[in-house]
Amino acid sequence: MLKLGVFELTDCGGCALNILFLYEKLFDVVKFYEIKEFHMASSFKEHDHLDVAIVTGTVSTQRDLELLKHARSHSNYLIALGTCATHGSVQGGVEGKIREKLEKVYGTKANPMKALDSKPITEYVAVDYALPGCPYDKDEIYQVLMNIANGVEPPKKDYPVCIECKLNEYECVLVKKGIPCLGPITLGGCNAICVKSGLGCIGCRGPLPKDANPAGEFEILKELGYDEEYIRKKFKTFARGELRW
Amino acid sequence: MVSIEIEAFTRVEGNGGAEIVIENGHVKEAKVKIFEGPRFFELLTLGRHYYDVPDLEARICAICYLSHSVASVMGIERAFGVEVPEEIKLLRELALIGEFLESHALHLYLLVAPDLFGYADAIRMAHKHGEIVKEGITIKAFGNYIRETIGGREIHGINVKPGGFGRYPTVEELEKIEKNSEALLTFAKRSVGLFASQEFLGARAKYYVATDNYLYGNKLIASDGESFDYFEHIEERSLPYSFAKQSLYKGEVFMVGALPRLMLKGDMLTPIAKRLFEDHKEKLSRGYVSLNNLAQAIELVYTLERAKEIAGMLLDRGVKGENVPVEPREGEGIGYVEAPRGALIHHYRTDDKGRITYSNIITPTAFNHAMMELSLHEEARKRYGEMSESEFIQKMEEVARAFDPCISCSVHVVKL
Repeated sequence: MLKLGVFELTDCGGCALNILFLYEKLFDVVKFYEIKEFHMASSFKEHDHLDVAIVTGTVSTQRDLELLKHARSHSNYLIALGTCATHGSVQGGVEGKIREKLEKVYGTKANPMKALDSKPITEYVAVDYALPGCPYDKDEIYQVLMNIANGVEPPKKDYPVCIECKLNEYECVLVKKGIPCLGPITLGGCNAICVKSGLGCIGCRGPLPKDANPAGEFEILKELGYDEEYIRKKFKTFARGELRW
Repeated sequence: MVSIEIEAFTRVEGNGGAEIVIENGHVKEAKVKIFEGPRFFELLTLGRHYYDVPDLEARICAICYLSHSVASVMGIERAFGVEVPEEIKLLRELALIGEFLESHALHLYLLVAPDLFGYADAIRMAHKHGEIVKEGITIKAFGNYIRETIGGREIHGINVKPGGFGRYPTVEELEKIEKNSEALLTFAKRSVGLFASQEFLGARAKYYVATDNYLYGNKLIASDGESFDYFEHIEERSLPYSFAKQSLYKGEVFMVGALPRLMLKGDMLTPIAKRLFEDHKEKLSRGYVSLNNLAQAIELVYTLERAKEIAGMLLDRGVKGENVPVEPREGEGIGYVEAPRGALIHHYRTDDKGRITYSNIITPTAFNHAMMELSLHEEARKRYGEMSESEFIQKMEEVARAFDPCISCSVHVVKL
């Protein structure tokens, strides 16, 4: 049996919850893994060296950082799960200094709870596998865990959402309807689920690491009549920092 | 002075804990500490175009993402003076029903039931009580089917839009919802019996607060007969030991959630749920917060009955699938929705281009923060010295769990 821990830093809870949404497949997972820590699902907790640690969320407090360091130093294989962990996601995209943000929200610059500027875990520790998605497709984490259990390094996806959109034969919302769609510059793996609803991809799996052409996308959206500020905000929603185009 | 630390609540969504302060052998204070980091959602939406805002707000919480996107859409539509037809209202209600089924089933069967049977979690409980766990998972999966069909995805779908939907459900999907909600009623009714047996825990709230309709509304109502906009009677304060703010109604501790909903709006229930409510009314009116679990079980019955009604109505009249045009304007609007764990508020101001200039979100867990402290305090007073520290902590966790807290939601209550 492999030992597994699920560690939740600051996030919406969705990436941990999505594991529970595996339903019957979760019972397959526990045939290979003994869950040593998963605070959303269990009161059971045992400090032990882990074969696999799953970490969700951003580092947004000193406590998050300590938990992350604990997970890293007590595991052989660490999975950054979800866009918060891999790219910073929505809270990572909020600009400004932490004390200024605290003042706007809580009315004081005091920081007794030791909040930090929200960053993805990849900025603090080395990760063995990064699976983005807000949330990721639950079958992906199932496959990754099964691959690891079978001693196979899980494959990494490297294609845009557009590929899955074409495979599903959905109508291109960007070209045909002029809806802003980030599919061409966003990492695939979601099966183009938002385009299935006739809506544009909002980029929740983060930018495609290579071969993408954000400058081209930027120009297309501008030609469609969207202003630069709108496009810039849209590009930056899930990924911290500037996209270079 | 000594403290008993509940380091981190388990089997709840998010990161929070509590400190029970003991002085001279007596429980002096209970503090609920939310250490989930701040997420600054109101800053995130500032200056954003209204059309993208519900998708961002959904990310506040995965368990109740549709409550957030529906509340957001309603706030935005009110700011623009947009009225949507009955069909869109019914589909939004159906979306909220899917969320209740998913969230209540998760909470009751996977998070609370292990307490009733004495297990650390539902997976360990499943060895002996597999049937119960399976029934819960089936209801939860059905709730998620509705969330995916109407919301666009199990978690963080973007199908709920100002003015309507990206995609409307097909006849087959509505038929499936109609059929399954009927079939699952047996399980839901059984859960009422199960959770009716739970012991009384926690405090009793002085006031209950809910929205004026069962799953959403135009105003808030309270148990003293008041009908009001939230800012008229609810005040917030920041705490030095928590990222969540605390709210008071007319200066007093109050509660939102399933129990307040039943006690304030029990006459709106569907037939079977109403009968079950009447059967347990005497017990529920005792008011202890652990009865929130029983109230959620009755709501499982209600939402299944109502899902069947709504799917039937939509099938009878046929889904037109037409969105209402949305014209941005300078305005202000509040969306009131019942999230599974209680009343939720999204309040916006917009400029003439439809960009957000002001945003205030108050979540049910923030509303319940003071009530949770009061409940932990009372329970701690009863239990301190009566049991081992580990049993004591377990009881405290059961009290917190009864609120079905959603901590991710609670860490960004703000006015800008």
